[in-house]
Amino acid sequence: MSPWLTTPAMSRSASASASSASPGAVDLAAAQDEARAVDGPWCTVVWNDPVNLMTYVVFVFRRHFGYSRPRAEQLMRQVHEEGRAIVSRGSRERVERDVQAMHTYGLRATFEKTGQD
Amino acid sequence: MAHAFRRRGDGLLACRLDGEEKAIIAQVAQETADLIRTDLGVEAGTGAIRRAADSEDPLQRLEAEFAGRSAREPSDSAVSRLFPAAAEDAASADEYRRLGQQDLAEAKLADLHRVVEVLDGAGPGHGEVQVDEDDAVTMLRALNDVRIVLADRLGVQRDGDFDTVRMMQQIGEQVEGADGGEDEEHVGSDVVIAVYELLSWLQESLLRSMD
Repeated sequence: MSPWLTTPAMSRSASASASSASPGAVDLAAAQDEARAVDGPWCTVVWNDPVNLMTYVVFVFRRHFGYSRPRAEQLMRQVHEEGRAIVSRGSRERVERDVQAMHTYGLRATFEKTGQD
Repeated sequence: MAHAFRRRGDGLLACRLDGEEKAIIAQVAQETADLIRTDLGVEAGTGAIRRAADSEDPLQRLEAEFAGRSAREPSDSAVSRLFPAAAEDAASADEYRRLGQQDLAEAKLADLHRVVEVLDGAGPGHGEVQVDEDDAVTMLRALNDVRIVLADRLGVQRDGDFDTVRMMQQIGEQVEGADGGEDEEHVGSDVVIAVYELLSWLQESLLRSMD
């Protein structure tokens, strides 16, 4: 078989991030039931990407954050439709851990100061 | 032919795969691991660094600290997807990479290695592949990482790109069918497309069986 994995990519993937602001994100997060999501100045952002299956993203949000299925599905849809969603808030230490977990699952995630968008 | 994952009476999750399917999944998992190792330069010695970090000797600890600082930025586009920048500002992203990339690489390599082990353990030929709950999660992560690499090689960057790739393939097949020719380049990407679809289907089926 041809060693396609070791050949250079056809095109370099630019950070295809929809950098549009999502004004609804703050309200959404504030309205959620999980207490852990509203207690810090930092947040974890998950970005849309064309590879991760929607069911997989829901699975990851439920498993890592312990979110209910409706909450996880709502966040997944927000990522898909708006390009990004805030999935957790907290101390910098906590959101760094969350980002690391998201990367372990192959989700594109960043941390940032709350209110940056 | 492959049969979807289902939960067995004993609680294990099982699917049925052909020998060829098992072999090809194990191969792409192995190639993904090799790609990560090569691109990030985590070839060897990570265990040594860790041992040195716990060493009694302060000089060894210091050396370990410096070794950990040389986390290499991915140069391959697919590896960049697996190890993305963790923050939009470069200073935070660099610091994060320096402190966390090694652990992330080891976690991904362990996942991929485990999948190869499970598939090899299932034996050659058509048969059942069984996983417990922990292995199922490991397999979901590893299959996803492999899909990310394959998608990168297919040039998938935005929603809907894979559908376009597939449509182009089908058009290509029709054209080839008309003139009877088949060039090697097309055969290569046909295989990548087929493997990507197999892995997507398998991942979806595993997720469904876990519900």
